[in-house]
Amino acid sequence: MNEQSLTLLQLNQRIASLMTVPETQNVWITAELSDVSARGGHCYMELLQKHPDTGATLAKARGVIWANVYSRIATEFLAATGQRFASGLKVMVRASATMHPVYGMSLVISAINPEYTMGDLLRRRREILERLQKEGVLELNRQLEWVEVPLRIAIVSARGAAGYGDFINQLYNNSSRLNFKTHLFEAVMQGERTPTTIIAALNEIALQQDEWDCVVIIRGGGATSDLVAFEDYELALNVAQFPLPIIIGIGHERDITVLDYVANMRVKTPTAAAEWLINRGNDALEYLRSMGNAILQKVSDRIAGSKEQLSYYEALLPTAPLTAVERENARLRSNMMSLAQIGARRISPELARLDHTMKSIASATDVVLRRRGDRLNSLQDMLNALSPEATLRRGYSITRVGGKAITDASQIPSGTEIETTLANGTILSVKK
Amino acid sequence: MSNEMNFKPVKELTYTEAVSELETILQMMQGDKCDIDRLTDYTRRATELLTECRSRLTTTDEQLRSILSQLEK
Repeated sequence: MNEQSLTLLQLNQRIASLMTVPETQNVWITAELSDVSARGGHCYMELLQKHPDTGATLAKARGVIWANVYSRIATEFLAATGQRFASGLKVMVRASATMHPVYGMSLVISAINPEYTMGDLLRRRREILERLQKEGVLELNRQLEWVEVPLRIAIVSARGAAGYGDFINQLYNNSSRLNFKTHLFEAVMQGERTPTTIIAALNEIALQQDEWDCVVIIRGGGATSDLVAFEDYELALNVAQFPLPIIIGIGHERDITVLDYVANMRVKTPTAAAEWLINRGNDALEYLRSMGNAILQKVSDRIAGSKEQLSYYEALLPTAPLTAVERENARLRSNMMSLAQIGARRISPELARLDHTMKSIASATDVVLRRRGDRLNSLQDMLNALSPEATLRRGYSITRVGGKAITDASQIPSGTEIETTLANGTILSVKK
Repeated sequence: MSNEMNFKPVKELTYTEAVSELETILQMMQGDKCDIDRLTDYTRRATELLTECRSRLTTTDEQLRSILSQLEK
């Protein structure tokens, strides 16, 4: 056996030199990150390509970013995507194939295109949302009604997480001393176990659903925030269908995940979640205060009004009897007038009858009188015929002395003045 | 008083029921339909409801301390 043989090192070096050609250097590739870890400033990972439907691994290679490059790439990537460089992300990187005699092939990464990752995240999120929409569950949690004042809060978080402490401190140090009741349902809030542990916590809460008013899922926006763990269909489905309203308070303002679209309420931070709950309680207290004031106001108004009414009657009291007497008088007067009128109506016909009777009487009297008068007249005629005047006219005369009629001439001395009355005129003479 | 027999004990009411009863009492008072003989009853009832609602929303110092001490463990 005279065949020439190579040492392993020689072969590996040959492979290395064959591999290190322009075609494998600084090539832009797309891959999914897995097993990302940082050691000594360098970042190591597995780059994967999976079958889009089955998820079976189609290709796999070791990747590394050397410390001098990594610090720049990590900052750039975070600024552009809001994401840490972490497992589960799809990336577009510029890589060069290298062959190490001991460690084998690695892809050394020198640049990254964050837009690709962004696009992929958005696409993945959109796919999840579209699927939930199609299944008719997308809006379910968002449409849930809140209880009047949510005070019983089920918390899904990791014990010792900064966000959890912030939330509790904020919640219990509220100035109104709102009576919150909380319990922590623990879950892993980063990495691959995130969706399954959160779902488990939610299931536990669902079993005692009546004990709680709402759920808050919170996590501080710490240095290890790989939000890609939350971009999960199963988790989104569980949140969307959860029977209690869910508040999501994960990380910081820019960190949006699919959960922010399906949960009832999205807040920027755990502290903001506590603030929101405190505000609801304060609103309720304020409403109670305003109702208390309104009732107090109404009661005092009512009492004041009644007092006013009483004092009005009180003032009325002294004059009321007089007024009543006055009123009675007026009534009497009016009655009297009516009486008079009624009387007049009855009396006047009577009067008329009387009148008529009197006239009849008068005319009857007249007749009688006239008849009497006629008789008197004839008597007068007879009398007239017998009167001294008539006798005088027949030639008789009356002789008077001193106004007295003389019937015996012997009683008259001579020289006495005698007055003789004739029918016309008088003769004065002296007795011889 | 027989009037008070109509009122359900506040402890048996939910918060929402208590608040809506308060609103009803207030409306009645605003509508001037409230019989002055019952004013005292209604005011007493309203106060009772308000106190109960408030006490359900707020907590005492002792409760607060015990909760926060649990947190520190």
